[in-house]
This record gives sequence, structure tokens and C-alpha cells, in this order.
Amino acid sequence: MDFEFTTDQLELRANARAVLEAACPATVVRAVYEGTGDGTALWGQLVQLDWPGLAIPEEHGGMGLGMVELAIVVEELGRAVAPTPLLATLTQFVPLLREAGSTRLLQEIAAGTVTGTLALAEDGVWHRPRMHTTARRDGRDWVLNGVKSHVLDGTTADWLAVVAQGNDGVGAFVVPAAAVVATPIEVMDPTLPIATVLLNDLTVGGEDVLLEPGDPAAAQAIERALQTSVTAMACSTVASCRRLFEITLDYAKQREQFGRPIGSFQALKHRLADLYLAVERAASLAWFAALTIAEDDDRRAIAVAMAKAAAGECQRLVVRDALQLHGGIGFTWEHDLHFLLKRAKVGDGLLGTAACHRAHLAEFLGLAAPA
Amino acid sequence: MKLRFDDDVEAFRAELLAWLAINRPSAAEMAAEPSVSTGHAPAWARRWTRTMFDAGWLVPGWPPERGGRNAGPIESLVYIEELAKARVPRTTNVQGLGIVAPSIIDYGTDAQIRHYAMPILRGEATACLGMSEPNAGSDLAALTTRAVLEGDQWVINGQKVWTSGANYADFCFLFCRTDPHAPKHQGISIIIVPMDTPGVTVRPLPEIIHPDQPDLNEVFLTDVTVPAHHLVGELNNGWAMANGSLAHERAMVWVNAVMGLEESLATLLVEAPALLDRLTPIERTLAVDQIVQVAIDTQAARCLGYRGFAKFARGAGAPEQALMKLYASEARQRVALVAAEIQGADAVVAGGVANDGHHAVDEPQGTWLEQYFHSFANTISAGASEIQRNIIAERILGLPRK
Repeated sequence: MDFEFTTDQLELRANARAVLEAACPATVVRAVYEGTGDGTALWGQLVQLDWPGLAIPEEHGGMGLGMVELAIVVEELGRAVAPTPLLATLTQFVPLLREAGSTRLLQEIAAGTVTGTLALAEDGVWHRPRMHTTARRDGRDWVLNGVKSHVLDGTTADWLAVVAQGNDGVGAFVVPAAAVVATPIEVMDPTLPIATVLLNDLTVGGEDVLLEPGDPAAAQAIERALQTSVTAMACSTVASCRRLFEITLDYAKQREQFGRPIGSFQALKHRLADLYLAVERAASLAWFAALTIAEDDDRRAIAVAMAKAAAGECQRLVVRDALQLHGGIGFTWEHDLHFLLKRAKVGDGLLGTAACHRAHLAEFLGLAAPA
Repeated sequence: MKLRFDDDVEAFRAELLAWLAINRPSAAEMAAEPSVSTGHAPAWARRWTRTMFDAGWLVPGWPPERGGRNAGPIESLVYIEELAKARVPRTTNVQGLGIVAPSIIDYGTDAQIRHYAMPILRGEATACLGMSEPNAGSDLAALTTRAVLEGDQWVINGQKVWTSGANYADFCFLFCRTDPHAPKHQGISIIIVPMDTPGVTVRPLPEIIHPDQPDLNEVFLTDVTVPAHHLVGELNNGWAMANGSLAHERAMVWVNAVMGLEESLATLLVEAPALLDRLTPIERTLAVDQIVQVAIDTQAARCLGYRGFAKFARGAGAPEQALMKLYASEARQRVALVAAEIQGADAVVAGGVANDGHHAVDEPQGTWLEQYFHSFANTISAGASEIQRNIIAERILGLPRK
């Protein structure tokens, strides 16, 4: 295994970071938090730079980059706390289209004229043996009914990929925003806005049926798409943690008490060493997961669950210590620290917490209780 | 980034595996005469070292005359992985082959290489590393064992402790104070001392696990005299050499730690179903979460190791390597503890084997609880975990010393 990024990948990271440092400084994030601005201008710039086409095949107008490259860009979104539809569109909507073998909307997405998201979770659960949202056959069409929770960009995405339960298994459908009732949820981190989505006797047919319920390949295709979404969320979360760690480290070097930098006290040194280790541990597992997806390796299911679990474990430690070690200043609204703190926490909550993914791992490792 | 190695690396692996299949010592042979100390090389181990040396498989990264084949760092990594997978120790004299011989080759004279390094490589001699002292543990540079040049002889007086393998080794790579007036890091030299020199007394220190097979020793040096030409490298340059030769090892030593961790986890996963079946549903849930966490730790150790190694192989700085000693040794401790706790009352049963033959004796072996206690050797020695955290904080993260 060669676990170093290529020159091209390192360049991509440097470029993405430079773009976001210029286009998404903390003032942009603060404006979103305080309701005085949104991510529209940022999105416009990212579209101009062809970011929406990053992971879309070249024949559909994209750049055709792989999962490792997507992970690199998503990390930068997490680092910058970027309020953009890119995360939901490229890591939640497109993967399900691709796994279903559909080319629907890819051209428009690559051009930046259309955004999408994934409506999968119900009552905050992403992995459910049987969905409550139903897909009932009606002639050649399907009729969807149910409530989806925690839909990222649920009120703003143009299209939603909906997963629903048919009599013979699970299926996936593409529906336009206008056909659903999306209710925004007031969330702690407005850069990752979520909504509850109501599907009320919604008829779907033709090319909007991505995977028919009863199609034996459907469940696996959905699972594989979700692996990309989960890995991306892990990458975003770890990158937020890395930034938190860097800021906290700088603060520990500068802030003086008792006539010396607080970072010279061994109690803090050991905590910072442990934070560094937690970030590197989670980052390396996230990259490994991205790599198993990029190469479609057999270990991908386990690697993805480990990545999301480690990302959750990482934020648990880093969020606590970043806030604690900043002392009172980090507790104030006017300091920018809380944007990252909240983004990291939300990143653990969405697409399955650390504990949820450890439970998946228990099954993958053959440790689950016999039925 | 890619999961697979290049074809030439795979060809190297195939050649090694084919050679191992024919030439490796058998499990029965190793179990019949296990090594009882890191200074002890049983007859099979001596033959095995010689066989590897002759075939250029002892230190693949070195030239043929030193028992290698000029292999690159990636091949060397594959080599260590495959030996561990095949359950064949690379050596029973870990410090001799890993630190002492390379240091003599790097810093010693031709005569020293001929008389001391080459016999280690040919399986004819073993060496121990005389570093720690009663008052110089984590603060190694505080060592006080004194060497004074009188005429053409060094006269050495002092005491070493925690000297692995000293009870069987042929010679000691001894760190001595040669200039008591210089700052503590600058007055240290390295002198080769044959263990049968008059005035050298070894007192084994039975350990908390398997006291019948001590590996650690006290070494007392009373008016020990060795010829002046036993000085290795420059006078008073011992500290710099120590860092140089230990750095050698750091690039690769994590592989064995990670593979030990993987082996522990694999064993635990095999034993888990029977252990878990005895538990109530809630106990089981708690236990399973612990196992899953050490499974994540294990994969993370592998990934962190590869991450640091990928940078090292490109000649770049690899801060991840400094993390590996700390992370892998603590993870190994957690696996043993988790396994012992899931065993419950049965964990207290003693009587695991001291050495199964195919591990070096300094690796945790025996029952889970024995392994747990044994694992502290790795979180205490070679820079305790607390020292590792200081090193990470100061040297990698740039936090002020004071």
C-alpha cells in the first residue's frame, strides 16, 4: 500500500484550500450564522471553478476525479466550515445516481445549475432493516408515502434521491423539490442545514425510478452509495477537527499565564499530543476508507464504518479540549471557534454516530448476538 | 495513493516466500528450544541467522557482504511483514541485529565491524545494549557509568539496569560517561565490553510475569578494563550516535508492533464467540463495543504506520513515525486488557507459556492477563509513553519546553 497522496492530489488540496480561504473566510460563515448572509456568492464562485463537476465523469461534463480526490475537497469544506450545496450534491445525491447506473441530471449538476440531496434517514436512523417510507406500485409508476428526517439541504436542493420500501425490497427514486413538503429544522450549525421531508402520495415514474423495489441489486447499490456519503462526512468532520486542533495549538503557544505560555505546562502538552494522535488516527482511517472506495476493495464496508466511528471519537475529544483549552474566550459568540465546534458535532450526528458505526462493525466482525 | 504494491515489489515478495518455504526453521524446531532471553540465540536461531545472511535475506536493505541484497525501503517493509506472517522471528537477539550491529557498521572501525558486527550477522554472537542506569531511565543522558582512559585501556566503573539479554549476550554496547565536566549530552561515549571481561557481574531481574525466564538484568562494572580501541566512533559523541542508530530502527520497528497488535486482535476475534456466549445480553453489548474499539485501533495503527512509512520512503519527514511507538504499544495493552476483562474470572488462571518459540522474548505472550502485564515492557521501555507525549508535544508540535 502506498499511503501518500500524489503530486496532483496535493496540488488539488492546496488549490481547494486557497480558493476557500479567499471565498469562504470566517466572515462568510458568521454571516450565515447571524442570518445576514448565505452561501450564494460562494457557490457562484465554486461553480465558476467547475467544482460541481469534480466527481462526475468526463462524458457528462465533469472532471472525472475519483473518491480520494473527492475526499480531499470535502476535507477542505469541513476545514472552512463552508456553507455550500456541494457536500449534499456530490457525496449524497450523485453517488446514488451513479450506483444505480443512471446518468440523469449529471450534466446539469456538473454545470452547477442543479443541486441534489439524499432523503434516506427516518427518525434520525440511516440504517434500518425496513423503511417506513413506502413505495407502492401503480401501473408503471410508483407512489411514495412517508417522512424523511435529517435531509441535508432539504429545503434548498433542487432534487432529492429518496429511498423507500416496496413489498419486495427497498428502492430508490429521484423527485423534484417541488413535489415534496420540506420543513426546515432549526439547527445548531446553519452551514449544514437539515429539513424534514414529507412524501404524500407522490407518483414517480420513468427515468426517475433509480432502483425498483424488488431489484435484487437495489439494496447493495444503496449501501455502496451510502458508503461514499459516510466517508465524505467522516472526512469533513476530521478536517474540522484538524483545524480546531491547529487553532488550539496556536493558542496554547501564545496565551501566557503565570509568566509562561500555557502550552509549556505538561498537563496541556500531553493533551495536545493526544489530540494530534486522535486527528491523525481518524484522518488515516478516513483516507483508507476513501481509498477502498476508489479501488472498490473488499474491505470497503468495514473501512467506511471504522472511518466514521473514528471521526466521531476524534471530534468527541477534540471538541471538548479545544473548547476547554481556549478558556473563556472560546465560550464567546464573537470568537470563531464555535463554528468548527458545531460543525464537528453535527458531522458526528449525521449519517450515523460513532456508536452507530461501531454497532455496524460488530456485525461485520461477526460479534453481533445470534438472533 | 493506492492499496496495492507495484509489480516489482510483489516479485520480491514472491521470491522471499518461495525461499522461506524451503529454508525456514520449523515450528517444532523453534518450540523445542525456545529463546529464553533477547541475548540468547538457541542453535536453530544461530543456524537461521547464518542461513539468512548467506542468502542475502538477513537485512535486505544492506549489500550482499553484510547479509543483504540492496533492497529498497518498501521491499524491506514487505520482508518484515512476511516474516511475521510466516511466524518466523527475524532474530532472537533483537537489540543486537536491530541496533548494535547497524551502529557498529555506521560508526565503528573496520576491525570492530569484523570482530563484533559481522559475528552478530552470521549468528555467531549476540549483543546487549547498556543504556539505562538506576538514576538514568527516562533521563538517559544523566548516566554516570564512568570510563577513564588509562594508558591504552579504558577502566570502567558503574552500574547498568534493565539491560535486556545481558544474562546471555556475548558483549555489551556500553554507554559511558567519558567527560564528567561537559554538558550531560556531550560527555557520553560508547565502548564495546565483552561480557566475560573480569569485573562484569550480571544479576538477572526476574520479572512480574515468568520470573523463571528473566530477560532484564542489572550489570555491575567494577574496574573493568578493555583496550582503548573498543571505543566506538568519536569520543564524547555517544548521544548523537544513539539517536542516529535508533532512528534506523524507527522507520521499520513499527511494523512488528502493528503485526503483534493484529495477531492479538485476530486471536481475540477467534476466541470471542465462545467468550461472548457466556455473557448476559447487556454484558455482551458492553464487551462487543470494547472489541470493536480495539479493532479500530488496530486498523488505525496499520494506516498510521503506512502513512509515516510512505513519507519516509520518499525521504520526507514523517511525524507519524514518532506517534507509532506510543500508539501501537498502548493499543496492544488495550487489546490484552479488553480480552482479559471479557474472560472474566477465568483471566486469573496462570500458566501461559513464557515463549512459544516463534516470537522474540520481549513480545507479550502467554494468557491475556500475562500479556497485559507483559505489555508494560513496551509502554515503559525505549522512552515511556509519557516521554513520547513530551517528544511529540515539543519536537513535532513545537510547544515550548519551559
